[in-house]
Amino acid sequence: MKKSFYPSLALDGIKKNKRMYFPYILTFIGIIAMFYIISFLQFSASVKLLPSGETVALIMKFGSLVISIFAVIFLFYTNSFLIKSRKKEFGLYNILGMNKRDIGKILFYETLFVYLISVGLGLFLGIVISKLAELGMVNIMGGKVDYNFYISPDSCVFAIVIFGIISLLIFVNCLRQIKFSTAVSLLKSENHGEKPPKANWVFGILGVLVLAVAYYLAVLVKNPISALSMFFIAVILVIIGTCLVLISTSVLICKILQKNKRYYYKKNHFISVSSMSYRMKRNGAGLASICVLATMVLVMISTTSCLYFGKEDSINSRYPRDINIDFIYNDISGLDDDITKNINKTILDISKENNIKPNNVSIGKSVFISGILNKNKVDVNPTLGKVMNTSVMNNLCTFYFIPISDYNNLTQKNEKLNKGEVIISAIRKDFSGNSLCFGNTVFNVVKTVDDFKIKGQMSVNTNPIIMVFVNDFKELDNIAKLKSKNGDNAAGFRLEYGFDVNINKEQQIDFAKNFEKSYGNRIFDCGKEKIDSIFVEGREVNRADFYGTYGGFFYLGIILSTVFIFAAVLIIYYKQISEGYEDKDRFNIMQKVGMTKKEIKKNVNSQLLTVFFLPLVFSLLHLIFAFPMIRKMLLLFSLNDTSLFLITTFISFAAFALLYAIVYKKTSNSYLKIVSNIK
Amino acid sequence: MLEVKELKKVYSTRLGGNKVEALKNVNFTVEDGEYIAIMGESGSGKTTLLNIIAALDKCTSGKVIINNKDISELKEKDLAEFRRNNLGFVFQEFNLLDTFTVEDNIYLPLVLAGKSYNEMHERLMPIAVKLGIADLLKKYPYEISGGQKQRAAVARAIITNPELILADEPTGALDSKATDELLKIFKEINKTGQTILMVTHSVKAASTASRVLFIKDGEVFHSLYRADNTNEQFYEKINNTLTLLATGGKE
Repeated sequence: MKKSFYPSLALDGIKKNKRMYFPYILTFIGIIAMFYIISFLQFSASVKLLPSGETVALIMKFGSLVISIFAVIFLFYTNSFLIKSRKKEFGLYNILGMNKRDIGKILFYETLFVYLISVGLGLFLGIVISKLAELGMVNIMGGKVDYNFYISPDSCVFAIVIFGIISLLIFVNCLRQIKFSTAVSLLKSENHGEKPPKANWVFGILGVLVLAVAYYLAVLVKNPISALSMFFIAVILVIIGTCLVLISTSVLICKILQKNKRYYYKKNHFISVSSMSYRMKRNGAGLASICVLATMVLVMISTTSCLYFGKEDSINSRYPRDINIDFIYNDISGLDDDITKNINKTILDISKENNIKPNNVSIGKSVFISGILNKNKVDVNPTLGKVMNTSVMNNLCTFYFIPISDYNNLTQKNEKLNKGEVIISAIRKDFSGNSLCFGNTVFNVVKTVDDFKIKGQMSVNTNPIIMVFVNDFKELDNIAKLKSKNGDNAAGFRLEYGFDVNINKEQQIDFAKNFEKSYGNRIFDCGKEKIDSIFVEGREVNRADFYGTYGGFFYLGIILSTVFIFAAVLIIYYKQISEGYEDKDRFNIMQKVGMTKKEIKKNVNSQLLTVFFLPLVFSLLHLIFAFPMIRKMLLLFSLNDTSLFLITTFISFAAFALLYAIVYKKTSNSYLKIVSNIK
Repeated sequence: MLEVKELKKVYSTRLGGNKVEALKNVNFTVEDGEYIAIMGESGSGKTTLLNIIAALDKCTSGKVIINNKDISELKEKDLAEFRRNNLGFVFQEFNLLDTFTVEDNIYLPLVLAGKSYNEMHERLMPIAVKLGIADLLKKYPYEISGGQKQRAAVARAIITNPELILADEPTGALDSKATDELLKIFKEINKTGQTILMVTHSVKAASTASRVLFIKDGEVFHSLYRADNTNEQFYEKINNTLTLLATGGKE
């Protein structure tokens, strides 16, 4: 036998099955290109030069890991379609005298060719786009653009090796399938008689329940930290629930409809209801994966774009002034007026020496303490056992004591309080008592308000926050004396000193970065040894971090979404094609018993439409229920803008739905082409 | 009731290069209550003829008249309705939909015609009993044997009380016992006045008919009447004619 026999047979196989192979290779190319781009950004020198290059590189490293894992799962999945459609051909080869070793050789060459084509074109595509991606990224981060074009050898090697391994795994899997089947079973594998789907009440109802639990968790979660851990539980439940509902519950619903004879034996319902249950059983898994992919894309895009577009807001709420100096005292007396006056004077002096005119000076005093709120009693010294308990953890709050004068200044109000009276503003927590007890100290709650916006250091706090406005800090003496387990003060004492300046960006960064080194001693001196530590932060200094992190996430979100959309489209395409071949005979029969082509087409269309938009409807439902949970998680990134998140979510969904509809139109054409060859 | 006049069907390849004449010039008539078998070798045009009579395919020229209606003049929409109301089909491959139970498969043409469930059920029961499938109604096609499937298909064909039943190799996929049963059923429903037109390869099947038409090279080559012959005698005659056909002799 000639040496080139198997390779040419393999090449022929690919060419003859181009309807199946073309999209497969295309996806392979797409995933490799995406992998290269992400990996390229990870190693890119211009990205490293960005102020937050390290963060970005880390995010991209994470991204390339996600893509590799996804590639394994997804390529295996699509390959199973391929091998299914080829089994008949291999069975024929087997009967014509080829042994399984020879078939293995054909498979080897096929896998090799697919790999070579994909890696070649994928890397080429990746290299071409990578510069564009880099420019886009640097632009998003507000860095300096560098127009030198280069190829990252590391990324190329990674791509070649990783996808080589994946191809090898796929090849081994194909061999396994061929090895364990006989020639006759290979030949017949295409037309297995199909059993009617049985309605499984247990799984059907379980699906609804699991989904309900997931939604319940998502909606009820209060605190951002538990939102983060709950999120993964909810995601897993949603995935399981979606699969069960789409596979079992949908069949169950069809069966219930079939039981209703009046409804079922109607021209419009008869065929669609019965074939729907088949379709759902066959496609449940595919539809569920489309739905999960769609939800992932939507969550990723809406969240990361919200972070990205909301970054200025985050920066402004995190850093209320250009320069923010934080003082932490070791004792409540540090917050005394004379020390505050001293500090104010020293900072103004230092500013003058630097030719800076401070504007909008803001001085905020606060005493904060964390504890577990039980009705109206606060336990500031919880035992370890209690801390580990999640339901107790949900009641862990941070209490900020603020002078009522600050509240009046910020809200333009004129509230007056007597000794022992407080006004309360609870954030991410319900509070409805008329007293609040810290050990022996009892405050009388006069009223609760909700117009106080948290800013600065408080906005980093992800716990539920309870603002307690008091008349005078002298009333806090007992609280200040409370000790935690290790003997430290349970409470913290903070002065936030902020001001806007009239100098440019570079000077601001310079001033903030060198402040502690140059003037630390002078500041500590005027604090009468009450100052524990100071932190100097500024919008300009920290902006780059925000841009780096949020921009990096946004970018990764876009890239991963593209890959996932690719995947969803491919699943849809294969689904349509394989269904087309299966439905062909059925339509032939229907025509013979007296349906017009028009009726058949109408019927098909309505079924396709239902099956097609089911995942979209479900992902919308998931998104709606995930909304409150994600909103809470965004608080971790000091983003508290619900309307922005609502807008980005809505736009993401609208764009995705549009894209989905276009894909539907295109793929349903290929379906109709197969089916409409009715005699 | 059925009149086929100068029927011609030419298939041409897509580019119009090769033309294949499947039917040259077919003429015959079928009277009410007749049971006709059409025989011929593979490729003689039998199935093409059946498809044209069933209005599933269009003829190149000629006429098919069923109950004084020229079906080649009907529109696509009317054709489906016409098929539903006037024709019943029995196929070699049964053509039952695997998504339906046997019962629902039989109901299919009636549901398409917009009949109510009660009426369908009333019509089904006597037929199911007669065909011996009353116990199988709730089963799915994959659960029953070939003979049972074919009986279900016959039930689907006759439940609409069609003018004409068209059968395309109905015994082709059945074993000999199931074949005998099916032919008996055909004979019985023919006795009730049902007109049947059957295309077949099987001499045995043809020998139960009241008349056999032989098709060769797209033309009706010969026809045999049963007259007073028994099944065995008729079988013999058909066989002789087939031999004649195969050796190419003229009458």
